[in-house]
Amino acid sequence: MLVSKLARQLMAPVAAIALALGGAFPTAWADNDEIVLGGSIPMTGPFAFAGLQFDRGLRDYVEWINRQGGIEGRTLRYVGEDTGYQQDQSVAVFRRITSRENVNFYFGDSTAFQQTINRELDRRDILMTGASFASELNDPERYPLQFLLGPDYSEQVGILLSYIAEESPGARVAFIHSDTEFGRDPIAPGRSKAEELGLTVAATIVTPPGAADISSAALELRRARPDYAIFHGYVLAPIPDFIQRARQMGMNTRFMGTYYTMDQGIINEMGEAADGFMGVMPYRYYYDETGPAPIMDAIRELHGDYQTTTYTQGWLTGVLITEIARETLRAGKPFTGSNLRETLDSLSDIDTGGIFGQPVNFRGNSIPLGRIYRADVSQGQMVPVSDWIELE
Amino acid sequence: MDWLFFFEITLAGLGTGGLYALTAIAFVLIYKATRVINLAIGEMLMVGAYLFFGAAVGWALPWWLAIILALLGGGALGMVLERGVIRPLLGENPISVFMVTIGLGSILIGMVELIWTANPRSLPNFFPTDPIFIGEAFLAPKTFWSFVVAAVVIAVFLLLFRFWRGGVALRATASDQGAAYSMGINVPAVYSLAWGLAGVIAAGAGILLGSIGGISSDMGLFGLTVLVVVIVGGLDSVLGALLAGLLIGWMESMAGVYLGGEYEHLVTFILLMVVLLFRPWGLFGTREIERL
Repeated sequence: MLVSKLARQLMAPVAAIALALGGAFPTAWADNDEIVLGGSIPMTGPFAFAGLQFDRGLRDYVEWINRQGGIEGRTLRYVGEDTGYQQDQSVAVFRRITSRENVNFYFGDSTAFQQTINRELDRRDILMTGASFASELNDPERYPLQFLLGPDYSEQVGILLSYIAEESPGARVAFIHSDTEFGRDPIAPGRSKAEELGLTVAATIVTPPGAADISSAALELRRARPDYAIFHGYVLAPIPDFIQRARQMGMNTRFMGTYYTMDQGIINEMGEAADGFMGVMPYRYYYDETGPAPIMDAIRELHGDYQTTTYTQGWLTGVLITEIARETLRAGKPFTGSNLRETLDSLSDIDTGGIFGQPVNFRGNSIPLGRIYRADVSQGQMVPVSDWIELE
Repeated sequence: MDWLFFFEITLAGLGTGGLYALTAIAFVLIYKATRVINLAIGEMLMVGAYLFFGAAVGWALPWWLAIILALLGGGALGMVLERGVIRPLLGENPISVFMVTIGLGSILIGMVELIWTANPRSLPNFFPTDPIFIGEAFLAPKTFWSFVVAAVVIAVFLLLFRFWRGGVALRATASDQGAAYSMGINVPAVYSLAWGLAGVIAAGAGILLGSIGGISSDMGLFGLTVLVVVIVGGLDSVLGALLAGLLIGWMESMAGVYLGGEYEHLVTFILLMVVLLFRPWGLFGTREIERL
């Protein structure tokens, strides 16, 4: 009893000091010479293949830019935590990081999270980007404090369709998508865009999420006999299976994919089926050395072996927030989310150091620019088959 | 009506149904012998597919050796789960055991992600790739061969149940545990055997499924449709598992083409509801109901 009373007496002042310090801590720690990028990063779970690369890319970029003297003399600091690709975890990580740090920019890991946290962003005045290319996020009215790291999914499909219309006017196109929010995203706009470009939509084939066997869907595809088939809403399965079956059925359809299907590692997993597979990619591949690209050179200098496009996406995040932060500081504006957004809107012809093949401009919240690449299995690489295509 | 197309879709559906039936047999085997509703069957199937991947790609073994190792590994996994987790729960409330199998599923997913990461992978192709034509109807070689393998395996197991001593012991234990004990049958060994065999079958189904659509740590979701198959067929009926597997495979295939892919699972679960409403013990199951 006596001991506990003594302990309480001793603890009281300690607790008081701790409380006082704790209260003072965030502001004292919010170093004015620092710019903080927080991140809910899916380093485990089904999206870990990309999450681990975002994390590495962001870390490497931050180290690199700080070696160059930071952003207008300020240090960039990255604080990322694992979410397991669970929305509640992503929110918990966001709360934890934003309550501990004076966060200026944030990297989100999924469409669901980026939608959920939107109000909170407004409240905390933080500018966010992330892994999602959802068309819904490309709306500056509803998502004023978010931007995408390339074309949204509808624009990606739009770029593919523009390429098709150019290559084979009037071609028959099929859409194959998973029955998920991700899968459905670009389908309706894609169909209208196809009609607008004078293409025929031969079929829209839906596969249930996690479908093991797509035998009947493949038969449906054969019946539609499209010249091109665009996959969306998948990472790997069931794309190789569709392609193999189509070949076995003697079809000459050319298959295409969107950003997350287009990484080299995934293409490698497809084996022979990958040959001739095409898709839209907003960023230069690691081994694409056409044209000057100082940022890609820096990546190649840092790593002698292939780096994924999701790793490059981490660097692009860094490049864009550096540009936004730099211009805001130069204009002498306070470092709030709304001011950062204002700067983003004022930027034009942004130089991404060659990650994109030409200077980029935001339209709404996205950058509708990409290039068509084709898998060449004999070279083991994705080779460009079009110039950079920018949607109006 | 394009009858050739209809016939092709039917064949494709039966192909998928063969895999449902095979996995459902693993489920029924465990339920019959041990009265455990094993919700981790989908994850056991996934582990089998990853064992094959590890042996065939990781260790670069020939595919036939990799299959043998994966089947043995699947069997060993089944026995370890039974001995380590299920047997200590003997006599406990069925709901506890049921919940434990859900947990087991999560643990197996975690283990696979730790070893092989969560990245989706493709399995090396070991089936012939020449297209199969039945009359004029096209059947994808993978679907055809996996159906053939599933059918052969099912036939072998049916013969084993009928004629092999272990199979007879299994059936005896399933129909009356007390009587089996008194006749000198080593019931705990039968439990191990049931889980071991189910592990082998699940691993086999995993390899077949993975060779069709690739593998990923969430492929255990397949087990969810298998659960519907066994409930529709009757939890303790091998014949029910076979027929319900084929029926559901065919229905999903039809729904996918004529209604759209978004209706595949809807149709399956509507069938489940109808069966539960009018014949809760399933088409061929024993007429007793255990409420959980």
